[in-house]
Amino acid sequence: MKTALISTFAVLAAACTAFSAAVAQPQAGTLRVRLNADIRSTDPGLNRDANTDAVMMHVVEGLVAYREDATVGPLLAQSVQTSPDGLTYTFKLRPDVRFHNGAPMTADDVVFTWNRYMKPSNNWRCLPEFDGRGVSKVVSVQAPDPSTVVYTLEKPAALFLATLARTDCGAAAVYHRSSLDGDKWKEPVGTGPFKLGEWRRGQFIELVRHDAYAALSGKRDGNTGGKKAEVAKARFVVIPDSSAAKAALLSGAIDLNPDINDEDMAEYKARKDVVLDSQPSMDMQGLLFQTRDPLLKDPRIRRAIALAIDMPELVATVTTGNAKPSRSVVPAPSSYYKTAQAALPKRDLAQAKKLLAEAGYKGQPIKMLATKRYESVYKIAVMAQAMAQEAGIQMDVEVLEWATLLDRYNKGDYQTMAFTYSSRLDPSLSFEMISGPKDKQPRKVWENPEALDLIAKSSVTADRAKRQALFDQLEALLRADVPAVFLYSAVNTSAARSYVTGYQGWPLGLPRLWGVAMRNP
Amino acid sequence: MSSSLALYVSRRLLWTLPTLLLVGLLVFVLMRLVPGDPALLILGDAATPEQLESLRAQYGLDRPVAVQFVLWLAQVVQGDLGHSITSGQEVLPLLLERFQVSAAIVLAAVAAAVLLAVPAGLYAAWKQNSVVDTMVVAAATFFLSIPSFWLGLLLLLFIGLKLGLVPVVGYVPFAEDWRSAITFLILPTITLALIELGVLTRMARASAIETLRLEYVTHARAKGLSERTVLLRHVLPNAFAPTWTLVGLVLGNLLGGIAVLETVFTLPGLGRLLVDSIFARDYPVVQGCLLFTAFIYVLVNLVVDLCYPLFDPRVSAA
Amino acid sequence: MKLRANAVIGSVLVGVVVLMAFVSYAWTPANPLRVQPRLRLQPPSMQFLLGTDEFGRDVLSRLMAGAGTSLLVAACTVLVALLLGVVVGLVAGYVRGWVDRLLMVGNDALLAFPGILLALGVMVVLGANKWGIVLALGLAYAPTAVRVVRGTVLSLREKEYVEASRVIGNSGLRTLFVHVLPNCTAPLVVLATSMFGWVILAESALSFLGLGVPPPAPTWGNMLSSGRPYIESAAWLGIAPGACIAITLLGVNLVGDALRDWFDPRMEGA
Repeated sequence: MKTALISTFAVLAAACTAFSAAVAQPQAGTLRVRLNADIRSTDPGLNRDANTDAVMMHVVEGLVAYREDATVGPLLAQSVQTSPDGLTYTFKLRPDVRFHNGAPMTADDVVFTWNRYMKPSNNWRCLPEFDGRGVSKVVSVQAPDPSTVVYTLEKPAALFLATLARTDCGAAAVYHRSSLDGDKWKEPVGTGPFKLGEWRRGQFIELVRHDAYAALSGKRDGNTGGKKAEVAKARFVVIPDSSAAKAALLSGAIDLNPDINDEDMAEYKARKDVVLDSQPSMDMQGLLFQTRDPLLKDPRIRRAIALAIDMPELVATVTTGNAKPSRSVVPAPSSYYKTAQAALPKRDLAQAKKLLAEAGYKGQPIKMLATKRYESVYKIAVMAQAMAQEAGIQMDVEVLEWATLLDRYNKGDYQTMAFTYSSRLDPSLSFEMISGPKDKQPRKVWENPEALDLIAKSSVTADRAKRQALFDQLEALLRADVPAVFLYSAVNTSAARSYVTGYQGWPLGLPRLWGVAMRNP
Repeated sequence: MSSSLALYVSRRLLWTLPTLLLVGLLVFVLMRLVPGDPALLILGDAATPEQLESLRAQYGLDRPVAVQFVLWLAQVVQGDLGHSITSGQEVLPLLLERFQVSAAIVLAAVAAAVLLAVPAGLYAAWKQNSVVDTMVVAAATFFLSIPSFWLGLLLLLFIGLKLGLVPVVGYVPFAEDWRSAITFLILPTITLALIELGVLTRMARASAIETLRLEYVTHARAKGLSERTVLLRHVLPNAFAPTWTLVGLVLGNLLGGIAVLETVFTLPGLGRLLVDSIFARDYPVVQGCLLFTAFIYVLVNLVVDLCYPLFDPRVSAA
Repeated sequence: MKLRANAVIGSVLVGVVVLMAFVSYAWTPANPLRVQPRLRLQPPSMQFLLGTDEFGRDVLSRLMAGAGTSLLVAACTVLVALLLGVVVGLVAGYVRGWVDRLLMVGNDALLAFPGILLALGVMVVLGANKWGIVLALGLAYAPTAVRVVRGTVLSLREKEYVEASRVIGNSGLRTLFVHVLPNCTAPLVVLATSMFGWVILAESALSFLGLGVPPPAPTWGNMLSSGRPYIESAAWLGIAPGACIAITLLGVNLVGDALRDWFDPRMEGA
């Protein structure tokens, strides 16, 4: 037995040393980036999630795209003209754009892809925004000549272009007919700086540089601007577990992790071979209340809970000091985030206790739902419970699995819930995500009719001053009603090996691998 | 002889059908009872009721549960396990692809564990109550007392990260590049082997001790046979038998419990697929996966039961 | 000599842990749920003997409270599994025939069902709490108990004293309870000690996957799982619960060994 053991170890050791040469070396020319889950498909906008969008934005492009400051700029369009009545949008296409298969992009391709998006059976995420149920109603899309596309709307819509640029709708990307095999999706033949290389399901998606990419002049600017692919290949490696991702980066198995845990920052900072980059995002974390709950329908109790929360301390603990506290539902990086939004109420336990006494609160337990799927949500619940306790409010944290929590959120079946919202790029959308008639949309937390009216107004007008005034009004209403207590927008930190140059995050959050190069390590 | 064997095997296989049907029914009902909507998970917090309904209809989730079950059964009988809601892939090829990964680890680990456990257990039983015996028991008990994800993480950090001997993440199929494949699989295999080693060693030792006390062993010794012959010819086969049953149970259960290791070592295996699909409420995949694992489990137990007579001539396969 | 060493060491280890659990119901050095954000991730010190966790909660207090929960969950789970095992196993093994076949089909189906799905399903019905875990794991491990009981019954059925009992005219039920059941005790007790360990490990694996006894209430399993990201920066968060699990399992297994050795002369070498 002893000899068996020894020989086994000998074989193992030999195996390790023989093969370790092939281990964890940066592969020349391939930028390896972590993805925390596999993508859903390569069909932009129709079968997607956040990771799918991140990858697809390298392969396909739309007429317009978000700039770094969340405004909308032209991408495949050379220019966009809006008619004075706001009903007609004329897009002049850039003449130098080529698809990955070499074919030139024409207005025909734009109409083709548009019709595919608008087909109801395809379930395009943004379909409601263009068929009259949401932001706008597109009456017709014409191609008067090969380099012009004209959209006609029924009514003016301030958010039309912004919705076209939405990455969660595939940015209304334009791709070549050969992406499809009849009616079935084959693979994306787009115009982006990368082509789709190999997709090994559950493991990685490899992109290859599109050498004939017609880059706009100028610097990288959000999803538009100069988008040159500096690396020959980019590989998105699927690593769901964050500890494994950390080990992968530190061992050199990957070169970049676009979103690391707040708790790990100190550890990464201490290493000389890792470079960090932090960017505020446009998501939103908060504590939601069910205003139809028998106990919580009294606004005094909701205000008391809000007053019991020590915002700076809570946010500092939950995000390890990375994010800034904010009571507004409008995310801090928004261009509409001004004084009214930035006002931070102080913690006031005395006032909270007074309100509770007035409301006749006798210590009844209030259930707070949370989940461990998103560590931040869980931490918010634990901290909020502890802080509320100091005001005499008894909150019981119940941790649910994510799908169950989402279900309860969607049905409005909770007293309070710690929750995280994905990015909304315009304050109208931020308010819309929490407001609506609860009878039709039980997931909404705020059904104040005055607020709903203001929100509707804000999505129609394009005048910035008018919109700011509306948002300020909404802010005041929100703080009086307290249908929810908003806490902060996350700050996303990326960690890259020091030989990776040029990577920068941005408030929209999706990682961008164009303009990123690897020096010889 | 062989025709009665064939009869036995076919009877056993036939008896698996009700088990599989029951498993299928249980899964189907349980998954739909549990709250959570795959369409909602896909659309997220911005889902409008119309989008949800439309997506649910697309996946056939708007029909009554009984109808869904019958439709699914009809598909399964024809060999079609449906398509994943999450990825759109066909379920059966997906299962087979993932199964290869898990099976590679499980088989290698159990084989390694058995190869070490049986001799170790035998030796410890032979030298019962000696220092060696105590050490073997202590080591075995130690290894079965550590949660697998901790052992895996410790090995990953120490051998993978600090010593840099093996990659900490990644996978290639054997067929493509067997050298790299081994480097990716070696740590999870060792982790699993160590844990199973503990269980199997104790089991082997216990059965060996029992057998050593049996009369016919005493007789064999009295007859003048050497210790070596006694051990190998009489004790080993009997010590092996219960261990073999445990191997069957272990193998079957491992297919579910391996999810933890696959997460720590980032391997695209069946365990992780099942866990991820349960969390994503990917009904077709969960249902298909459970049918598949139940079938594998039944098959493994059948093989184990068939091998029993090889080890103990007293037991007939009836 | 070995006999007694096993029993003594094992009992001591188990005793320490059980004592810790009992004490925790009355007193812990600090409130295990009290959040103190300014004191997060403190290494062990005079004030906090085992340091503090990511919320500034005292690890020692959580460990003690966790002992109570983990041991209670494990004990109850084993009880549930054994109860089901005895009832179903006795019936199946004694009655045989199509009842046996039917029960075994159900048993196999349950055995092939992964614990995590059971845990998710049961947690829906009973809510996300420790009794859900008890039921789920109890159901998950019952089939093993059923097999053990049934196996013992099958081998005992042919024994002379069982035949004798029937010949005298005792009813099947009486025979079952008076003659068959007591002889199942030995393997069941041994199984119980092993199962105890499996349950503690299973609870920690479920916590790792996000389904264990839900936080903020501590169990060793969920403490171990939460300590994972801090393995290098705050190692004490993982070592403490991990050591407790290892000690408990070691003790339980040693006691199990001693019990099996003790039962041995009583068992008829089957």
